[in-house]
Amino acid sequence: MQIAEWLENEILCGNIKENEKMYSQYQLSEMFNINPATAAKGINILADQGILYKKRGLGMFLSASAREKIQYKRKNRTLKKLVEEAAAEAGRLGVGEDELIAMLREAKKGLDEREK
Amino acid sequence: MDVISCTGLTKKFGRVTAVDDLSFTVAQNRITGLIGPNGAGKTTLLKIIAGFMRASSGQVTVFSKNPFNSLKAASNMVFIDESMKFPPSLSLADIMLSASVFYKNWDMELARGLFDYFSFKAGQYHSGLSKGMKSTFNVIIGLAARCALTIFDEPTSGMDAGVRKDFYRALLRDYLQKPRNIIFSSHLLNEVDDVLEDILLLDGGKKRLQLPVSELKEFAAALRGRNEVIAELTAGQEIYYRKRMGEEHCYAVLRRDAAEGVLKKSGAAVEILPVKADDLCVYLTDGKR
Repeated sequence: MQIAEWLENEILCGNIKENEKMYSQYQLSEMFNINPATAAKGINILADQGILYKKRGLGMFLSASAREKIQYKRKNRTLKKLVEEAAAEAGRLGVGEDELIAMLREAKKGLDEREK
Repeated sequence: MDVISCTGLTKKFGRVTAVDDLSFTVAQNRITGLIGPNGAGKTTLLKIIAGFMRASSGQVTVFSKNPFNSLKAASNMVFIDESMKFPPSLSLADIMLSASVFYKNWDMELARGLFDYFSFKAGQYHSGLSKGMKSTFNVIIGLAARCALTIFDEPTSGMDAGVRKDFYRALLRDYLQKPRNIIFSSHLLNEVDDVLEDILLLDGGKKRLQLPVSELKEFAAALRGRNEVIAELTAGQEIYYRKRMGEEHCYAVLRRDAAEGVLKKSGAAVEILPVKADDLCVYLTDGKR
């Protein structure tokens, strides 16, 4: 779900830190013009995964291991899937292993340079 | 507590059955979307809920009372549609002033804010407005009235895309400030699904689906593969929609759990694809055509 993914990105770039308060469903509802119930679903997805925890009467907070949990999950699901897709496309195009790895290196280098 | 409750609700106009044995409830403080093709019975249902019409048979209660001829229902309800009539001698500013007397929760600050935002002028008359401007003015009345039950029947007809977006935003903002029961009918589901919490899908006066929007988005999935593979794997399943893709392949929409079951059996021979909520609604209500 898009809201959950957006929140994960916020956590990964460090805009919200461990043990800090997460956006409320009402804040998210206003930010994205979505029904508060939909926003709550996004928050609950992260809570179910242990990325957020609830403080009674105060709202949702970031758990101590939130970043690692997201990194682990994204690496093993999202990134793995992207790599698999890249490998499959390389296979269809007859691009060999070495060439594919060289392309990955190239892409990484380009990104690093842009960040400087 | 349920705000609206219908059991076996039926409305006939001569030989035409507009609402056909309809049973559903609406829980408190939700934004519910009434979705369906033209002639599905949306307007008739809304008018019965508003107490403007008596049902032919069946039960309807709004705030635990039959809304027909009920002062309690009328004083807690505002009904906004295209054909709203205002006294022709009143200017827009006068209409808002009388509305503030009529509706006990009227929020003049909100009304004036929206009035200025949409560039209305106090001295204008309702009859002189364009179709889209009339709709815009009507929804200002509907929002500022802040009634416990707010009904919008196709509120955005004639509005341009920008104004529709502004209206959805205004609706959500005010709902957050003062949660209340809002029902609105629309056939632009892809535009309103973010705003809604629940959906009631009507077709031919009957309920086709009622569920939270988030579940509707997960409700169905499509399978794509060779004709004979799809035909064999989906035998005995309810197929909502089927389309040929070239000579040998086809595309079939069915319940997500059924589709995932098929996928486990078939492995790589079949692809699974998501189905957009508004497409699904069209498939579900398109049977007769």
